[in-house]
Amino acid sequence: MKVLVVDDFSTMRRIVKNLLRDLGFTNIQEADDGSTALPMLQGGDFDFVVTDWNMPGMQGIDLLKAIRADASLSHIPVLLITAEAKKEQIVMAAQAGVNGYIVKPFTAATLKTKLDKIFARLA
Amino acid sequence: MTIAMTGQISLEQAKSVVEFLESGQQAAADAIIAEIQNPINSELFAEIGKLTRQLHDSLTNFQLDSRLSDLATADIPDAKERLNYVITMTEDAANKTMDAVEAIFPVVDTLAEQVAAVNPSWTKLMNNDLDLKEFKSLCLDIDTLLKNTGKETQHIHSLMTDVLMAQDFQDLTGQVIRKVIELVREVEESLINMLTAFGISAEKVQGKTTPKVGENLVEGPIVNTENRDDVVEDQDDVDDLLSSLGF
Repeated sequence: MKVLVVDDFSTMRRIVKNLLRDLGFTNIQEADDGSTALPMLQGGDFDFVVTDWNMPGMQGIDLLKAIRADASLSHIPVLLITAEAKKEQIVMAAQAGVNGYIVKPFTAATLKTKLDKIFARLA
Repeated sequence: MTIAMTGQISLEQAKSVVEFLESGQQAAADAIIAEIQNPINSELFAEIGKLTRQLHDSLTNFQLDSRLSDLATADIPDAKERLNYVITMTEDAANKTMDAVEAIFPVVDTLAEQVAAVNPSWTKLMNNDLDLKEFKSLCLDIDTLLKNTGKETQHIHSLMTDVLMAQDFQDLTGQVIRKVIELVREVEESLINMLTAFGISAEKVQGKTTPKVGENLVEGPIVNTENRDDVVEDQDDVDDLLSSLGF
């Protein structure tokens, strides 16, 4: 399974990559914001996107909307891992078609639970 | 000055002016008029003087807040540098820690593999089920395992010391941030003083306002979740909210 991890902080990308690797995801690529991520998604056969919300350039929520609006990408599950914690934003993400929402700071166990839930639902 | 101060001109003065003018003594008449104007002028001058002094004092006081210009031109750029230093230090620390942890993972995995490899033979030995040939092979495996474990635990120990030492940023960034907090406090005070100088009461301005948010309501980490009802406090809140939406 090919995964794209999108975050403007390289340390957070590294943490998420390590956690995903522990959970058995070995094919992981990185992007530092939505506008870098979108062409990568369009060019490669990604199966899953983990993205931050607040990034310079294109924000995670806008990346999510762009993925859902693109017929060739709209099937890809998207997990938001973000410090954004306003109820209105969580509703916004749900309406935009997010598959999971994790608030930072988060734990490895939370990530595992959400991933299991996302893939159980898709199966 | 001999005039009665009930009015600005006395009957006596008025009569003298008329007399002087009738007798063609223009200069003498003018002199009386000047004498009449004199007290009016001095009051006016006194008033202007008072206003000038007030203006001067206000300006001087305002310049006391030249501290404000120091803040804007020196302290705040300095604070920006300090905060950038905090970003660099914390990023370095996170990377150093992850370098060490990522180096430890494969070492631990290798040891676990080696233990798993000798385990079946070992179990057979404990059950008196091992023949001599297998026993010799097990001894060699255990010999390798012991040597490797000894070497690798030392390696892990030194990597864990790296993790420990990577935490030294906390002290330095703590000091830097404390200094920036002090600066923010000082700027706040100066701005309130300035508002007061312009006659705007700080209380009136200090309404309960929420912080400015960016596009898509972006605000970053919320540090006072307990004082706000528009944010979630933890992952459970997020999950509850999402499930209430039928998620």
